[in-house]
Formats: sequence, C-alpha cells, structure tokens
Amino acid sequence: MRAVRQIVRRQATYDRFHFWIGILVAVLPAAAGILLLGVSGWFITAAAIAGLSGAFLNIFAPSAIIRALAIVRTAGRYGERLLTHDATFRFLGDLRNRLFALHSSTALQGRRSGLLLNRLTADIAALDAIYLRLVVPGAVAVVILTCLLVFWASVSAPVFLAGLVFVLAWTFLAFRSFARPDNNSARRADAASEAMRLRAADMAAGRRDLAVYGGMDAAADNIVDAGHRLERAEDLLEGRAETTSAVSSLVGQTFLAAMLTVCVLGVEDGSISVAFAVGLVLVVIALPEIISVMLAGLENLPRMSLAAGRATKAGQAPSGSGEAQTGIEDPKPCTADVLRFRGISYRYEGAAKNVLDGLSFEIGPGEIVAVAGRSGCGKSTIAALAARLIGPRNGHILLNGRRVDDYREDELRRTVTVVSQRPYLFNDTLAANLRLADPRATDAELWHALEQSALAERIAAGRDGLSAVLGEGGLGLSGGEQRRLALARAFLTRPALFVLDEMTEGLDEETAEDVLGRFLEYRGKSAVLMIAHKQRELDAADRVLHL
Amino acid sequence: MGKDAKKGCEIGGPDNSDRKALTRAGSVLALADLLWVPQAGLLAWSLGAVLSQSVGASDTQTLPMDVVLVAAVSVILIAVVRVFLQKHARDIARRTARNIQERARSALLFAAVARSPSESFPSSGAFAAHVVDQVDLLGPYYRNFMPQYMRLKLVPIGIVLITAWFSWLAALILLVCGPVIPVFMALIGSRAKAASEEQQEELTRLSGLLLDRIRGLETLTVFGALDRTRSDIHDAGERFRLGTMKVLKVAFLSSTVLELFSALGIAFSAVYVGFTLLGDLDIGTWGTPLGYAGGLFVLLLAPEFFAPLRAFSAAYHDRAAGLAASRKLSELLAEMQAGGPEEKPASNGTQESGTGQGSLNRCDPPAISFTNLSITLSGRPVFDRFTFSIAPAETVLLAGKSGRGKSTLLDCVLGFRTPDTGQVLLDGTDVRFLARELRSSVMWLAQAPRLFHGSVKANLLKGHSSPDAITSDEIWDALRLAGAEDLVRRLPQGLSTRIGENGFGLSVGEIRRIALARAALRSDAALLLADEPTAGLDRETAADVVNGLQRLAKARTTLVASHDATVLGLPGRLLDLDKLGARELEPAK
Repeated sequence: MRAVRQIVRRQATYDRFHFWIGILVAVLPAAAGILLLGVSGWFITAAAIAGLSGAFLNIFAPSAIIRALAIVRTAGRYGERLLTHDATFRFLGDLRNRLFALHSSTALQGRRSGLLLNRLTADIAALDAIYLRLVVPGAVAVVILTCLLVFWASVSAPVFLAGLVFVLAWTFLAFRSFARPDNNSARRADAASEAMRLRAADMAAGRRDLAVYGGMDAAADNIVDAGHRLERAEDLLEGRAETTSAVSSLVGQTFLAAMLTVCVLGVEDGSISVAFAVGLVLVVIALPEIISVMLAGLENLPRMSLAAGRATKAGQAPSGSGEAQTGIEDPKPCTADVLRFRGISYRYEGAAKNVLDGLSFEIGPGEIVAVAGRSGCGKSTIAALAARLIGPRNGHILLNGRRVDDYREDELRRTVTVVSQRPYLFNDTLAANLRLADPRATDAELWHALEQSALAERIAAGRDGLSAVLGEGGLGLSGGEQRRLALARAFLTRPALFVLDEMTEGLDEETAEDVLGRFLEYRGKSAVLMIAHKQRELDAADRVLHL
Repeated sequence: MGKDAKKGCEIGGPDNSDRKALTRAGSVLALADLLWVPQAGLLAWSLGAVLSQSVGASDTQTLPMDVVLVAAVSVILIAVVRVFLQKHARDIARRTARNIQERARSALLFAAVARSPSESFPSSGAFAAHVVDQVDLLGPYYRNFMPQYMRLKLVPIGIVLITAWFSWLAALILLVCGPVIPVFMALIGSRAKAASEEQQEELTRLSGLLLDRIRGLETLTVFGALDRTRSDIHDAGERFRLGTMKVLKVAFLSSTVLELFSALGIAFSAVYVGFTLLGDLDIGTWGTPLGYAGGLFVLLLAPEFFAPLRAFSAAYHDRAAGLAASRKLSELLAEMQAGGPEEKPASNGTQESGTGQGSLNRCDPPAISFTNLSITLSGRPVFDRFTFSIAPAETVLLAGKSGRGKSTLLDCVLGFRTPDTGQVLLDGTDVRFLARELRSSVMWLAQAPRLFHGSVKANLLKGHSSPDAITSDEIWDALRLAGAEDLVRRLPQGLSTRIGENGFGLSVGEIRRIALARAALRSDAALLLADEPTAGLDRETAADVVNGLQRLAKARTTLVASHDATVLGLPGRLLDLDKLGARELEPAK
C-alpha cells in the first residue's frame, strides 16, 4: 500500500504537468457522457410538453449542445488516453533507467538471479496500471461525484439527500476495497506463481538430476499443486471483485429507482419541472460506468501493491554494504609497485569470519604474481578487490602508488583490465561486444585482436562476420571460444595491470595452454595478478602467493 | 499414444463442454442485459404518466405516485435478478477458463515428464514462462472475451427489434451507427494490430536488453562501459515509448470511432425523438405516432445497444493475447514432442515400470553388459556394435577425448538414451524395464550436476527414499566424503542455507561436491555412476573427492568417466574409448 502511494507520488513529481493534465482531460469525457444523457432526457421531455401544449421551445440550442457533448465525449476520451499513456510510459522509462543505475552502483555483485530480474522488469511493466487504472479513474469519480453533489444540493434537499445516500454507499464500497484489501490472497497467488516458475525452471534445466533425485512425476505434481493454489487464491480475489461490482451495480439501479421517486415527488410539490426531473433521472443511468471503472482499479490494489513493493524495494537496496571503510593512516605514496595490498581484510555479508585477514603483498612492474590456494580461501575476492568491484573492510590498496579509491572510474578502468572466469557475452553484435573495451576501435583493430586470440578464422567463416549476434539465440560459441573472445576483448586494452581470474578454468588442456600462451605473448610490460590453481599457470608466474 | 500426442499438439483450446459452458455464460449475460428493457419500460411508463398528469392530458385519475412507486420497486427487483444472473454467468465463465488453463498446464507437464532427459528441451526460462505466464494469458480470453462475444451476438439485435416495434427510424439510426463501427474498427484495427505486435516484440526486446546488461554488469564495470550503457538503455527506452505512442495513436482511433458512433447514436436518437414529439417530424413510426413514453423508452435503450460493442472491443485485446498464447503453447508442445517418445521408446521408463518384467535386487551389486551397442550422435557413429561386460562390484574407469561417448554410455545405463541397436543389460534384464527403479536407487553424479531451489539439506535428502531416517551425522559424513564439509560450514546458515536458481551463490566446483554428497547419501545403492567427478576442482579438493569415490566404489558396481589422471588412477579396469574406437570401428568400415 505504502509502495503504491510512493509510486503515485514519484510519478506526480516526475512530471507534474502531465500527471495533472491527464486527470483534468479525463474528467471531460466522463462529464460529457453524463450530461449527454441528462440533456437528452430534458430535451425530449421539454419537446413533448411543447408539442402537447403548443408552447415555444428553442430547439436549436439543445440539439446543438447534445451533438457538441457527443463530440466532446469522443475527442476528450481520445486525448485523455494519449496523454495519460504518454505520461505513464515516460515515467516507467525513467524507472527502468533508475533500476539499471541502481544495479550498477550498489554492491549487488553476484546477487543477480535471472528469474528475479525477469520478475522485476515485469513488475515495472505492470506499474502502468497504478496511474491508468487507479489514479485517473479514482480522481474522475471523485470530481464528478463532488460536482453532482453540489449540483443536487442546489436543486432541492430531497434530491441532495438521495444523492448523498447513494454516493456514500459507493464510497463505502470503495473504502472497503481500499482499506481492507485482500492482501493475503494476492500474496498467496503471487507465491504460487513464483513457486511454479521456479519449479518449472528446475524441471527444464535439471531433468537428469531430477529423474534420479526426486523424480520428474513428483516435480510435475508439485507444479500442478502450485497451480491449484494459484487458482484458489485467484478465485478469492476475482470472487471478491465480482461481488463488489455486483453490489455497485445494485446500488446504481436502486439509486435510479430512488431518484425516480424523489424527482416525481418534487414534480408533485412543484419544486422541480418535469423536464428537469427526467434529466436528473437520466444522469443517474450514466453514473455506474464511472464508478465501476474506479472500483475495478481498487480491487486490483493488492496485486499492484505487491508489484510496486518489489519495484520500490529494488530501488532502495542497501547501498555500499561492502564499501571501503576508513583507513588507519594515510600511507606514503610508493611508486615502485604497480599493485600493493596493505593489511587487507574482507568479510562477506552474513559470514561469521573474515575471508581475508590482514593480507599484504605487492606486484612490481611487469611482474606476474599468481595467487593459489584451496577454493573458498578468498582468491577471487583478491581479484575483485584489485579491480575495485568490492572494497576492503580494513587496509589499503595502492595502484601505481595511489589509493585505488582515489581513482576516477574511467581512469581506473584504463589502468586495470580484468579477464574473468565467466566472461559475459552480451546479446549484441560481436563488434559491440568487443568495443566494450575500446569504443573507438576500428574494424581492423577488432580483427587484429581476434587474430591474436585465434578466433579470426572462426569468425571470418561465419556469414555475418563482426556483425554476428552473440548470446541467447545468437552465434553459438563453445566455452573455449567464449574465453578466446574475452581474451580478444582484453587485447583491445593496454593497462598497467591485468587481473586474470582463473582464465583457463574449464578449458581442455590444449586450449588452456594456447590461451595462456597467447596472453603471455600479448601482455608486454603489463604486470599480472593471476588467480590460478593449475600447475601450468603457476609455472608461468614469477612468484606464487599461497593463501 | 500417437493419437494422444497429435491431439496434444493443439493445447490451450476449449473442448466441447467448455464451449457449451462459455456459450451459456454469454447467453445468461445477454439475458441480464436485456432485462434492462423492462426496467427502461417501467421508467418510461411512469415518467410518461407523470408528464401526462402535469400537462393535464391524462383522462385517468390514477395518481402517478402509485405508478411511480410500483415502477421503482419493480426496477429494484429486476435489478436483483440482473445482478444475480451476471454473477452466475461470470462464475461459469471463470470456472470454464480455469479448466482450460489447467488442462493446458497438465499437457505441458505431461510432455515434459515424458520427454527423455537426453533429448533437447526448451530453455528453463522459456519453459517456466510458458507454464506460468502464457497459460495465465489464456484466462482472460476465455473468461472475458468469449462471453462478451456471445453477448454481442444477442443483445444489439434484441434492442434493435424492440426499438423497431416503436419506431423503425430510431432502429435504423442504431442499425446504421452500430454495424458501421466494426467496419471502421476493422480498417483501423488491422493497421494497429500489425504495429502493436511489432511493438510487443519491441517491449520484449527492451526488457531483454535491460536484463542482459544487468547480468553483464560486472563485465561492463571492468571495461568502464557503464555510462555508455546507461545512455544506450535510455535511448532504447525513448525509442520504445515513441514507437508505442505511435501505435496507440492508431489503436485508440478505433475505440474512438466506437465512442463517436455510440455517442452520435444516442444524440441522434434524442434529437429524432425530440423533434417527433415537437410535431416537427412524423415519419419513422408504423402509423401510430411515437408518444412521450415511447420516445423516452427508445432513448433509454440506445446506450444499452452500444454497451456490448464497447465491452467487446475492450476485451478484444484479451483475445489477441489469448490466441497468441495458445499458439505459443502449441509450438512449445510440438517442440517437446519432436522426435519424441514414440520413436525412442525408452524415454523415462514410466510406461514399462509397471509391467513387472524385471526387478532389481537392491542389495547385491549388479553385473552390467553392453551387447552390440550402436549409437549415432548427430550423424557421427560413436559406438558401432560395442560389446563390453562389467562384473558385479567391479570398478571400470572410462577414458577418452570429449565427444567420444563417455557420457552417452552412462546415459544408456540409466535409460536416458536408447541405443539405436543393441541392449544394455543389468543382471540380464534390459535397463529399459528397470529405468524407474534403477534411477531411484543409484549413486549418480552428472557431468553438470544441478541443485534445486531449497536449502542445502533439502537438496541432499531429495533423492532419498526415507529422508527422515537420515541422521545429521550421516549427512556430515557424506559431506566430508565429498570434500564439502568446510564449504557447507562456511555458508551463512550452514545446512539450512537456501540455494537459488542454478545453484545460485555456489561455484561450479561447490555444486559438484554437494551433488557428490547427495549421491553418497544413497548408501543402499548398489551401482555408482560418476561423470567427470573432479572437473573444476582444485588439486587438494580433487584429491578429497577421489578418496571419497574410492570408498564409495567398494562393494558397488562402479563406472566413472573422466579425463583426470588422478581419477583414472583409481583401482579398477580402464576402458579407453579412444583405443577401443580405433579397434572397433575400423573393421566396420
């Protein structure tokens, strides 16, 4: 609930003008629709009286008004839809950008589950309903009903009272949906579909393991069960929404009967003219449509607030949990070493003890230092620290004699190149994937880098060359080829320090040797921090640091 | 089976009884709509009486108040019936839609279960999206659209007929404004549809772009490409918004046409009735002039003539989404059945398991024999009349280059793959008849083992027939044996740490060790199969794992595939598929 309010507030402040103009324009067609029926009823009654009594009636003004209202209703509706949708899409676009910015700035490294992100983007897409189905219809209903109440009050006390009673009845219905939303069912429905999604993903990806450990039938039954849970929860939600709409419809028709009675009573005692009375009655016929749109939006509130909750929560992830803490004293600049770790400690969030504790070492210019040790001893943590992907709990890291924290981002990235264990290939062209490392690289330079990593032939053989699309559904590269591509990417940079995080992990002997050899040939005078456990890599190092 | 599969290729559709139920729901909805006719009649009649009295044209002495009260009460009573009917109709439609969704989901799952694990399968993301989201999309189509369709067929005709009874000209106004709408809508809609499908793809692409870039954030960071990517994403979002608005401008036009004609229809009816009552017009009726009550009645019916049209057009989007979902589901099902279980009858051993043709002696290590095995993998013969026997409790170490068929051979033992010709026998029984029982009682470590959502402990116990009987000591023993004890102790919540998607939070080597512990917990198994058990492990850990394997291999028939020298150094018989290939394949040529 709070999340929905937050999203509404954010959208209002994001583009105040469009937010309010959308609501304002939305009132027009709604009002025109109501007036259309009211004026029509008044007109034909007045016409009938004039026809019977022979009195004069100005017929052109009312019939022109009726046609004008028809046009306003139509055009207003069109304008309203365009305005409100445009405002919403602008806002959602901004939300997406912020989501990306957020993920790129906080310490969420290694916490990105594909399914989670998928859901998040779906949530954002679903947030359009808050403004379009909730805020706009709600505001329209409030404006129209308030105006009508004022109008009824000016007509006569009984008419006002009748109106007030039924408006209150609708308000009560709206309040019930608003104040006592069925959050539990919404949450249950959500959990059930999430369970289905996760289990289906497990079922698709781990079919061998599942067939042996646990059984496919049991997995399928699980999904079916979750499906039943989803159905039950949705039944509750939909049943509730239907009941609300049924009661609202009943209120509307009872209102009609009541207004008929009150108006006829007014005609009896002469306080209202017949034509005016008919107009009043017909206005009531047009009301339920406006109310039902608003109520439908309100009934959807629990689901919206779940989506909004996730989206806003993703927008408030704890920032900088692994960021650098304060140092003890400013270390003296020391120009001799490319990289120097001084008393570095690091602890993962939730872990009981430090993975690194007071680690110090240095790498001289052009030196290759390998870090070895059992898996889990913090090797990859060292690589991440050196690349400033995470910050130490204690201690200092110096790069070319300067504290790594003092580097500007672009400066740092020019100085350090990381070749990681699992290079990520973007679902984009090969050239775009390579140009990540150097946006200004020419095609010739790209080919040169590919040649050096022994991929040029493979790429040249393909139909699309450098414009071949990689990633899911794209050019299929084997594990070894992906590693070579990552290497080609690294070959487009000239850093002072290379950080290799198990570069040859998972490659067969031949490929591993080739990749390593090509790298060593290329690196020139750059220093290398190598996270490794294979003997061949350890042999290539000038020095091995055992953890 | 074949018939079932063929029928199953079209899923997400209603069967006969569903169709009937949806038709009934639509008819009940239409009936509820048409009950507005008596309500409108009552309103018109009572207001007519009031008018007659007020201008003194009435001869009767009936007090209009009585008439009005009767009318008001009747309107409310009819309203109760209408609301009840509407709710009833919606309930029917909802239940029917649920049935259809449930059938579609079951069909998908059934096909997934029947599919042999060695066959290709949709990606996990796609499969999950189909089982959940696409099936969800079927709901609104059947729940909303189908009943609205029925309502559209009945209500406008009914209203026009009743209007025509009073005035053919008023009916004509409705008839002209009504049917013109679909024509315009079709004209505008067809353009909008093509564009909006493109736009939908664009949205998928945009979401895909965002996901892709977020997943690769680390790579973007280390190459200093964050700012560039941020502006890329911004531009893509802007492009999407502009494109969408362009589509919507056209798409909204079609509903605007609908609004325009329904507003004009009401306006024309009002103006026509007004002028008739004034006496300026006296055409359009069947001789008797249109009285005030008749005129008001005609005006009151006009909005209800357009209401089903508007509801129909609002639900039209559900139809497009539902049909697309149904098509996608059918495609997925076809993909899952391609080259499916009929052609290679082994699949999952589900059909044969109940026949009782063979049963496995759980206690004693079995003998395995491959007889005349021939297997072709993507056009390349991997085994050609391969014959080999493994004695009970013997350890056989499979060596050979990758792609030489090591994993395939292990697949054959578990019945995941059926050889083109020849048999795999376990104590003399074809494994196809044992598959299910065998799989539930084998120690098996896959090449790329997969852990499932849930805690580490749940994963370890998952494969066990009686998980409650396992003590905590046994679990830690198994972890120790797999070289995973330290690793689990380091996890934030130890054994209760939850593992996410694809072993999320664990490295490949860690997943492998936990999977080995999972296998080791099946201590009553008589057969041990392991595929590259030390891949991705550092030397020390690999040594732990090899020791563990050696202990597990005792008193079990064991088949281990590896190209790691330490594994191949285990006591046992070496079967080098490279050498075997040269010897076996050459005479066949």
